[in-house]
Amino acid sequence: MNENKEKIDFLLERNTAERMAGVDWAALNTEISARLDQAEKSKTPFIRRQIIFKAAAGIAAAAVVLIAVMVGTNRPAGLQINNGKKAAVEIIDGKGTASIEIKTAAKCDVKIMDLNGGLEKDYNRGTWIIISAPKPVLADNGKEKEAMSIIYLF
Amino acid sequence: MNEDCEATTNDVEQLVKSSQTGDRGAFDQLVRLYQHRAIRLAVGILGDAEEAAEAVQAGFVKAYLGINKLKEPTRFETWLLRIISNAAISQRRTAERRKSRIRTVDCNECGKAVLPADKGIAEELKGAIQKAMSKLSKKEARAISLFGLEDLSQEQAAEIMGCSTEAVRWYVFKARKKLKVLLKEYLE
Repeated sequence: MNENKEKIDFLLERNTAERMAGVDWAALNTEISARLDQAEKSKTPFIRRQIIFKAAAGIAAAAVVLIAVMVGTNRPAGLQINNGKKAAVEIIDGKGTASIEIKTAAKCDVKIMDLNGGLEKDYNRGTWIIISAPKPVLADNGKEKEAMSIIYLF
Repeated sequence: MNEDCEATTNDVEQLVKSSQTGDRGAFDQLVRLYQHRAIRLAVGILGDAEEAAEAVQAGFVKAYLGINKLKEPTRFETWLLRIISNAAISQRRTAERRKSRIRTVDCNECGKAVLPADKGIAEELKGAIQKAMSKLSKKEARAISLFGLEDLSQEQAAEIMGCSTEAVRWYVFKARKKLKVLLKEYLE
């Protein structure tokens, strides 16, 4: 095996040496230089393309993060009120208070009461959302009008 | 490295650093320093000088475009030889595809007959070696070619191939074993 190993190495070595003897080094050098010139010319647009691509990728990533944050936030899509209008509601995470503006009743307060405290994990009883006006308003009940402060109870 | 153009490690490091700042002249010098070694490796893998020249050109262009990615200028040689060997492997694939498109006669049946009589045994042997090299796996061809480079340690060969020194030795062993069968008639 060792003898064959040496013979194989010798054959490969001889083959490489013979093939290399035919290489025109000056021509090869000129060819490489020409290819480098060509690469240099296309290098600038290539780098510019890379920058644009990176910027686009950054913007796309930021947009994805923003969407993920928005989806992950418990943002109410809008509260449906009696006359079919939607009221925009500020972002409220869990228990807390916020303000809401409903055209018919001017500025209102929103209070969210978390009723799940103390219950088992999978047993949700729901949450009270109380929308009330800071000052009593005159509500139209059809036949008679009366002053009230609680406008909606969900 | 080219024997006509010896350079110290410090020179190479300086040339690499200059190339990284956009000095094209410095890179041209690196080309002159390493083209001999690069061709030698590519010829070893491809078994053909023309294909090797093509691979070397592509390899140097890739190295030029990516030189800023090289963090340690002292490792330029290993980094460059890895690029060259990858380019040679890629060139081998291109050559294989080219050959498969051209309808060829099965050389197992008439291999020697297609060679012109005046080319003699040396040409015949070259053809046989080139054919035998193409039968090796990419890793085997790369490993045995890297072993053919003088002054290249097994550790460097392993780094170029991205594997352990034991794995390199194993690929060399397998390559020799295959070549022993493929070149049997020339070994007797």
